[in-house]
Amino acid sequence: MTEQQPNSQSTPLRIALIGCGAITEQYYAPALKEAGKHTSLEVTALFDPAQQRLNAVEPSFPGATPLIEFEALIAARPNLAIVASPPKFHAAQTIALLGAGVHVLCEKPLACTLVEANQMVAAAQTADRLLAVGLFRRFFPALQTIKALVAGGALGAPTSFHFAEGGAFNWPAASASFFQKQHSQGGVLLDLGVHLLDLSCWWFGSPASITYADDAMGNLEANSHIQLTYTSGLTGEVRLSRDTPCSNRYVIEFEQGKVVWQVGDANHLDVRFKGITFPLSGVLREQSSGQDQAADTYNQSFVRQILNVVAAARGLETLRVPAAEAISSLRLIECCYANRQLIPMPWLSPAELERAQALATNSALTPSTSL
Amino acid sequence: MAPRIAVLGASGFVGSRLVELWHLTGWASVRPVVRNVGSLARLARFDLDWRLADASDQAALTAAFQGCDAVVNLIVGNPDVILANATASYRAAQAAGVKRMVFMSSASVHGQAPAPGTDETSALHTHHRFAYNTAKVLAERALTQLRDGGSVELVILRPGIVYGPRSRWVSDIADQLLADRAYLINGGAGICNAIYVDNLIEAIQQSLTSAAADRQVFLVGDRERVTWLDVYASIARALGRDLTRITHLDPPQFSRGLKHTLSGLRVSKPVQALLPLVPATLKQAVKGAIKAATASPNPSKWQLRMATGPVVSEEITQLQLCAVQLPCIKAETILGFQPKVSFAEGMRRSIGWLRFAGYPLPR
Repeated sequence: MTEQQPNSQSTPLRIALIGCGAITEQYYAPALKEAGKHTSLEVTALFDPAQQRLNAVEPSFPGATPLIEFEALIAARPNLAIVASPPKFHAAQTIALLGAGVHVLCEKPLACTLVEANQMVAAAQTADRLLAVGLFRRFFPALQTIKALVAGGALGAPTSFHFAEGGAFNWPAASASFFQKQHSQGGVLLDLGVHLLDLSCWWFGSPASITYADDAMGNLEANSHIQLTYTSGLTGEVRLSRDTPCSNRYVIEFEQGKVVWQVGDANHLDVRFKGITFPLSGVLREQSSGQDQAADTYNQSFVRQILNVVAAARGLETLRVPAAEAISSLRLIECCYANRQLIPMPWLSPAELERAQALATNSALTPSTSL
Repeated sequence: MAPRIAVLGASGFVGSRLVELWHLTGWASVRPVVRNVGSLARLARFDLDWRLADASDQAALTAAFQGCDAVVNLIVGNPDVILANATASYRAAQAAGVKRMVFMSSASVHGQAPAPGTDETSALHTHHRFAYNTAKVLAERALTQLRDGGSVELVILRPGIVYGPRSRWVSDIADQLLADRAYLINGGAGICNAIYVDNLIEAIQQSLTSAAADRQVFLVGDRERVTWLDVYASIARALGRDLTRITHLDPPQFSRGLKHTLSGLRVSKPVQALLPLVPATLKQAVKGAIKAATASPNPSKWQLRMATGPVVSEEITQLQLCAVQLPCIKAETILGFQPKVSFAEGMRRSIGWLRFAGYPLPR
C-alpha cells in the first residue's frame, strides 16, 4: 500500500512522533519547530503509551492528535513517522509503519539486533518507503571534514585512532528502560557506541578484527573497551563510559599529522601538522546564501537531518543516512556482545572476581556473530 | 540468609563500591536507593532490586525501605540535602520497621586539621569554615535526638579521607599531576587520615552486626600513618610523573573577600526580610556596583602569558596541615575493626582503577 507524497514545498508533510521521551521533548520538538520555518511540515500525531509523556510533549504541538494506541496512529496515515521509542520497539513499530506506506526516520540504535535491522531495511524496500536512521552526527561539518581528510589523503593515510566518550550519565532519561535489560538489550555500547562505531565504519570501513571487553555483571555494561585492527594496518581503540570521567575526544593519527575532535563540537576541529610546532584550532566555515559563516552547530545539524529526511520524502533530495548505513555498525556491536570479555577490574578480590566472571558469562549473548 | 540492606546514596563512590562488594560476595541482599533514573547508570551493571526516592522525601524513603533489615545512609550533597535527609531517612526507617541505620558522617566534624587529642568524645561545634562540616555536625545531632525517641538503632561512622576506585581523591590528584597543578603544603608532611574504601565497608558491616554499636559514634581510618606526600608520590609514580614537578608551598593565608562577605550578608535573615521591600531598580543598581567592585581588571594587551600555578584551595590546605592521626581505638574495641587492606595495597587497587578509567599510565 503506497500513498502519494506531498512533493510541493507548500503542502505540509504530515509527521507523526512515536515515543514522547526525553529525545522527543529535548531534541525533536525544538528541531521540528525550527525545520518548520524552512519547509512546510506539520506534526499531526503524537504517540506514547504513557499519558504523562504525551502531556509533556503536547504543548509543543497543539495541533497534533495525542494517541495512546499505536494502531490508531497507523490509521492516521502520516507521511512520515519519527520513531523515538525505546529501542526494543523500533523494529516492530517501524515495520508496521512502513507497511502502512509511511516513511520512517528511526532514532538510533536502528534496532537491538542485526536480524531486526535487516528486517527493517527489507520492509522499507518491499514497501518502497524511505527508512532513515537518526545517526545525526554524520551531519556535523567537523565529522564530514574528517571523512574528507581520511578519503582525500591531505594528511596521508590514517595510522591509528583513539576515541573516548562518555562520563557520568547525565541524560534526562524519562524512564528506567535505559537500565533494564528487558527493555534495552545493551548498555553504553548500544547507546553511545552506535555513534562511534558508525563513524568508524563511515570513515575507515569495516575492521578485520575486533576485541571487546565490558563490565556487565548480570545486566548492562557501564564501561566498554574496544580494540580494532584493519587490513591497511590502521589500529583503533574505543573507550565508552557511563561511569568514569572521559576525555570525550576523538584523536586520529595520520602519516602527516593528527586531528582531534571534541565530542559535540559540531563545527570545530584541531589539526596538528607533522613537524610544525603550532596546531590549528578553529571553527569550520561555509559559504551560505553568498555569505561566509560558521558551519552548522550541533543543534543546527540535528535540524539539517530532519530537513534532509523531509526533502527526501518529497523526492527532492537523496537520503543522506539511510538505514542500510547502520547495518555495519550494528554488526560490529553484535560481534562485540557475542565475543565479550570482562574488563580487568584489579580492585576486585579473587572471590569477587570469580562471581563477576560467572555473572558476566550469563550477561553475554550466544556467540554467533563474526565479522 | 543474607540481610536485606537498603543503601541510600548508592550511586556515589562509596555506595557503588559497597553495592559491588556485597552483591559479588553475597554478604547482603542490596537494595540501592537513588534519587533519579540517571543515577542507576553505574549500578545497572548488576541485576538489582533498586528503588527511586528523593533523599528528603520521607514517604518515598519509607516505601523504598520496606522489607529491609537495615539502612546504610551514604547521602552526599549540599548542606541542605544532608540536613533534610537526616530527619527524613530516620523517620522513614522507623515507619518501615528497619532495625538499624548506619549513618556516614565525616571526620571533618572535628575540622580539616583537628587538634591533638581529638577523639569521639571531643566537643563538636557548628561554626566551621566549611558548611559541609557544620551540616554533618547538625545531622549527627538530629539523628542522635531521633534515636532517643525512636526504635531504629543508630551507628555513626566518621571516616577521614576515603580513597579507592572512583574516589575523587585519586582522580583529582591524578588530574592535577597530569596538568602540573599539584601542590603540597609544608612538603606534604601533614597527615592524611586515609581509609581505603573496602576498609570503610568492613567498618559498615561491623556496625550493622555489632550488638554494642547502637548509639555509638566511631572514628575509622587505616592503620598506617600516611602523609599527603605518600599519597601524591604513590599516584605520581604510577603516572610516571616526576615528583619535582609538584609545587611546594608554605601555608597560604585565606581571607574572605568583599564578594563573600556581601553574599553572606545577602542570605542573612534580616536582609532576606527586607529584600522584598527594596525596588527592583535599586537591587539591580546594587548588584551592578558589587559586580564592578569585585571584577578582575582587564589584562594589558602587552602582557605576555605567564605559567599558571596551581589553584590552592582552603580546604585542601587545611587538610594538608593536619598534624594528627585520628584514633580508631573505640572502633577496634567495640566493633572489632581491623583494616585489612594496607595503604600500599589500597593504592595499588586505586591505580588499577586509573588504568581502567583510561588514565595514561605507563605499562
